[in-house]
Amino acid sequence: MSEEGRKPGEAQDQPADATEKPEAPAPAAPVTSAASAAPGASAAEGADKPAAQDVAKPAAKEGADKPAVKPAARPAAAGAGAAAKKTPPPDPRAEAAKEKAEQVKAAIVAQLGEAAVEEVGAAHFVPMLVIRKQDWPAAVDLLRTHPDWRTNYLEFMAGTDYKDKGYIEVVIYLQSTELGHFICLKTRTDRDQAEIPSLFSVFPGVNWEEREIYDLLGVTFTGHPDLRRIMMWDDFKGHPLRKDYNEWDERNA
Amino acid sequence: MSLIDEKDQVRTEEMLLNVGPQHPSTHGVFRLVVKISGETIIDAEPVIGYLHRGTEKLAEDLQYTQIIPYTDRLDYLAAMLNNYALCHTVEEALGLEIPERAEYLRVIAMELNRIASHLLFIGTYLLDLGAMSPFLYVFAERERIIQLFNELCGARLTYNYMRIGGVKWDAPPGWLDKVRAFVPHMREQLKMYDDLITGNEIFLNRVRGIGVYDTETALAYGMSGINLRSTGFDWDLRRKKPYSIYDRFDFEIPVGKNGDCFDRYYLHLLEMRESLKIVEQALDQIPESGPVLGKVPKLIRVPAGEYYSGIEGARGELGFYIVSDGKDKPYRMKIRKPSFLNLQLLPKLLRGQNMANLIAILGAVDIVLGEVDA
Repeated sequence: MSEEGRKPGEAQDQPADATEKPEAPAPAAPVTSAASAAPGASAAEGADKPAAQDVAKPAAKEGADKPAVKPAARPAAAGAGAAAKKTPPPDPRAEAAKEKAEQVKAAIVAQLGEAAVEEVGAAHFVPMLVIRKQDWPAAVDLLRTHPDWRTNYLEFMAGTDYKDKGYIEVVIYLQSTELGHFICLKTRTDRDQAEIPSLFSVFPGVNWEEREIYDLLGVTFTGHPDLRRIMMWDDFKGHPLRKDYNEWDERNA
Repeated sequence: MSLIDEKDQVRTEEMLLNVGPQHPSTHGVFRLVVKISGETIIDAEPVIGYLHRGTEKLAEDLQYTQIIPYTDRLDYLAAMLNNYALCHTVEEALGLEIPERAEYLRVIAMELNRIASHLLFIGTYLLDLGAMSPFLYVFAERERIIQLFNELCGARLTYNYMRIGGVKWDAPPGWLDKVRAFVPHMREQLKMYDDLITGNEIFLNRVRGIGVYDTETALAYGMSGINLRSTGFDWDLRRKKPYSIYDRFDFEIPVGKNGDCFDRYYLHLLEMRESLKIVEQALDQIPESGPVLGKVPKLIRVPAGEYYSGIEGARGELGFYIVSDGKDKPYRMKIRKPSFLNLQLLPKLLRGQNMANLIAILGAVDIVLGEVDA
């Protein structure tokens, strides 16, 4: 049933792909696809009508004989679509994010020095910067008040334990409600002595988020006014979201 | 010791009062330790975690499709939206194309769920304030929505309806017509609620000018949804960062003026109207037939990297953050829980208030403890 249900979907997806292709700024694609996609496109158009019939009468047992025709047309078009997406490895959106991250870096470096920014990149199309631990609140406050960025809304905060790399990472997504910027900032701390300056003085809204990270990941936020467990009970031992947490460990018993 | 203090007032002693964990007005298991002097609240301390099930930890051992039923249990009053938020993040990571019919079915389900959730808010909020009958009225309408969902996916609360790449089942025959019939009926009912409740003098005295905060505070505290919009700040992710197919619909974002409890109540009512508009337009535009699940591999492996995307949930911005190391299970999953962040301001709002306002302020935040504790 699922096979029959999906076939028309594929056939319908192709024309949609064909119309969307021009949007993707892939300069190499039109040259190759113009030659190969011409038959592919006509095949897709041709495939469109039988597909519509398939949908109209779900008893498309006859359609089961046809796949010999359809798969032949499909790989050509699908291959072209996949090639257009995969051959240019640097996604333009990721490139734009990286470029923006460099601009953010320039703003931070101008105030806090070269060492404040440890890494620049993109977290899935969002500009991403890794900030040195000591400069963490200063950098966040700087972006909040900086006239070019004004990231006045801390949208999201999380901590991740990268056991193999030996650090715990705290990540925030900042947003400017006026200028529309969306920036991801990170800072890293040693796993054994996890300690990060608190952002409470910049965004009071991180209060509970930091408590949660402290509770579940064991990161101490220096300068936090009320650092206690929030999810687990008070005499609970250990930090469950750490990758080496073992609930049967004697220490946790 | 005399009964009169130096200010010529009746002498009172400070006392600690536990509201909850098992209090009907806390909508779950939420404890509030209040320090009161006479009738005035001096300090309040929320204690949460009673419903903590470690969803984020559990997710690390689950495949992406297996996580979906767990999201139902977060905000159990708007499970469709939770389902969607997770699927949306994974779909963004994979760059999937969703079939048209599935997109429309999702939007219809999500907006109906938003209405059901807001209805429950109005019912329970009025109940908290001592009005018994609105609760019975809204439950009748909510029941109709839940029946619709029951027909759609076989569950009344924990739907597990969405899948990565589409939805699990197409709507049963005649279902869309039932939704179409529901829309004008609901519109009439909304008008009735408005007439019955909004002008009620007793209700207005309880909620007007209570629990006020401004936009700046709301933003600094990371609030979202109606709690943020009640301050007059136009912020709805359906408009600001259009996801799914919300850019195809014509609807308005109602915003408040004063940032008080009344605004928060009234915005719920207004938003239901807008949701009905969206449902109606979606019913007009939905393709007659077509696939409801896109081309998705059996075993979903998200490419290594990190992904965050948020949607406008019933209570604010609901987001999922996924760190993947290329396997079929997330390395780390974190949920941006709107109720959790909206609740943070509560102690500040309660300080100096009269004890009777506690429930009015707490109720208007519209929390669901399944989400706060995750």
